[in-house]
Amino acid sequence: MPRYIFYIWCSLAYVFLLSPLVIVAGASLHRGSRYTVVQFPPTELSLYWYTQIPDAHWEALSLSFGLGFLSAFLACCLGIPAALGLVRSRIKCKALISSLIRAPMQIPTIVTGLAFLQMYYLFGDLTGLYAHGTFVGLLLAHLFVGIPYVVGTVVAVLQRFDSRLEEAALSLGASRWRTFRRVTLPVIMPGVYAGGLYAFMVSFGDVPISMLLSVPGYVTYPVELFYGMENDFNPAVLASSTIVIFLSLGVMLVMQRLIGLENLLRSDGNRN
Amino acid sequence: MVTSQVIFLRSSFYRDLGYGGSGTEFELVNYLKFFNDTFYLKVLWNTVEVSFFAMVFTLMFAFPIAYLIARMRSKWGMVLLAGIVMSTFITIVIKVFGLYIMFSREGVINQTLLFLGIIDQPFAIIGNEGGVVVGLMHFTLGFGVVLLFSVVQTIPRSLEEAAQIFGASRWRVWRRIIIPLSLPGLIAGALMLFNMCMGAFTAVALLGGGRVYTLPVLIQRVVIMEAKYGMGGTLSAVLLFSVLLINILSLFLLWNMRKQRMIVV
Repeated sequence: MPRYIFYIWCSLAYVFLLSPLVIVAGASLHRGSRYTVVQFPPTELSLYWYTQIPDAHWEALSLSFGLGFLSAFLACCLGIPAALGLVRSRIKCKALISSLIRAPMQIPTIVTGLAFLQMYYLFGDLTGLYAHGTFVGLLLAHLFVGIPYVVGTVVAVLQRFDSRLEEAALSLGASRWRTFRRVTLPVIMPGVYAGGLYAFMVSFGDVPISMLLSVPGYVTYPVELFYGMENDFNPAVLASSTIVIFLSLGVMLVMQRLIGLENLLRSDGNRN
Repeated sequence: MVTSQVIFLRSSFYRDLGYGGSGTEFELVNYLKFFNDTFYLKVLWNTVEVSFFAMVFTLMFAFPIAYLIARMRSKWGMVLLAGIVMSTFITIVIKVFGLYIMFSREGVINQTLLFLGIIDQPFAIIGNEGGVVVGLMHFTLGFGVVLLFSVVQTIPRSLEEAAQIFGASRWRVWRRIIIPLSLPGLIAGALMLFNMCMGAFTAVALLGGGRVYTLPVLIQRVVIMEAKYGMGGTLSAVLLFSVLLINILSLFLLWNMRKQRMIVV
């Protein structure tokens, strides 16, 4: 197989993968007349649509960010101990527990959403507290899908971890907590960052769960976009999407600085 | 550790309760309806079909890219990786926007193809299975590259070099070394991609345009528009079990192949 066909094939794949993003960003700059509102390549350059982003989008974006950050943070808080337990302890059905923890990744998200909805109805019928449509309700469901990512990446790092480091710290008189904070945590940090980032992105990009669990007027950003697309098309969505694209680019660059992309992928690959 | 285990156990427990939540006597009625109605069975078949094609095409693109990045020694590898990671992180809704514009009647692709005379009427991406497969590929491709990247990394470069030194052609190296060595990872990755496609909702809902139904889309429609929670639960259970069944079948296949020493693990 000649080498160049391989390269052409790969570049085709890249064009395929990235062109929608470029087109969204490009088309958002076009200020058209009534009939050709959306056009790529843009012919009348302007930032008009950036001034027209409706308040609902900003509200949805801030909800999505809050939800993403909090669920990523909590997923780390719960995921690190779970990963430590999985790697270190000598409990019997380790394989079973590990596949149980990973299960949420294999369950279709719409099924997860429906299950949580039913669970909230049931809980609400018992106690009178209905969790769907509230921040906590969304958070719990996002946490459910986020934790496996953190566990997966942290376990991957822990398996390469030299436990003699910990033993050294302990034998030199450090307390358990101090050992964890000064020795273990710094070593597993790349895994934590990677897992946290995945948890954030899964939460931030999710449509089915949030759609089932939210009520009109209180929706996350992708759901807002989704409804906007199904009903009437407002070109301002292109502008706000472009902002999100650039935000993601920024997050990625920060991650590259913090842990390096290779680390991000390496700890992720051991997932299956 | 205990808390998170408890949370998981509890939520999985609740989930099971959730299915039965609509009453036990309803359950069987819904299942009977599902397996007797050709519409539902056709939707199930559609889901499998679309997922299968999306998986195959994704692998065809993802594996070369993963190989390319894993074997690259220059700084450019980083840039290529960044492109993949970037596209993985953008929500699929935004990508579908891009696809809409790209394939719209006056869009770049249709205008070019019309101009070149390759097609005589605009190609629509919404409302047909081809469009849905394209959307699913956008959903899974980045992820697939990430998965296969770590698979390729486990193959020592020296093996390929050795084969080349002894005069194997590039094609032969691929056929005799790279593909056999990555086969277990490839199959596992393909399974994950297939699972993702089976459960994918957003891309299918947006690109199907109400004409292509897969199980996740049907679940949403049944629950949100018709408020039939029982049927929604039934469909969810069917989706979950068919995903599980396909996984078990392919794991069995893998195990069989391993036993016959067709692949090295």
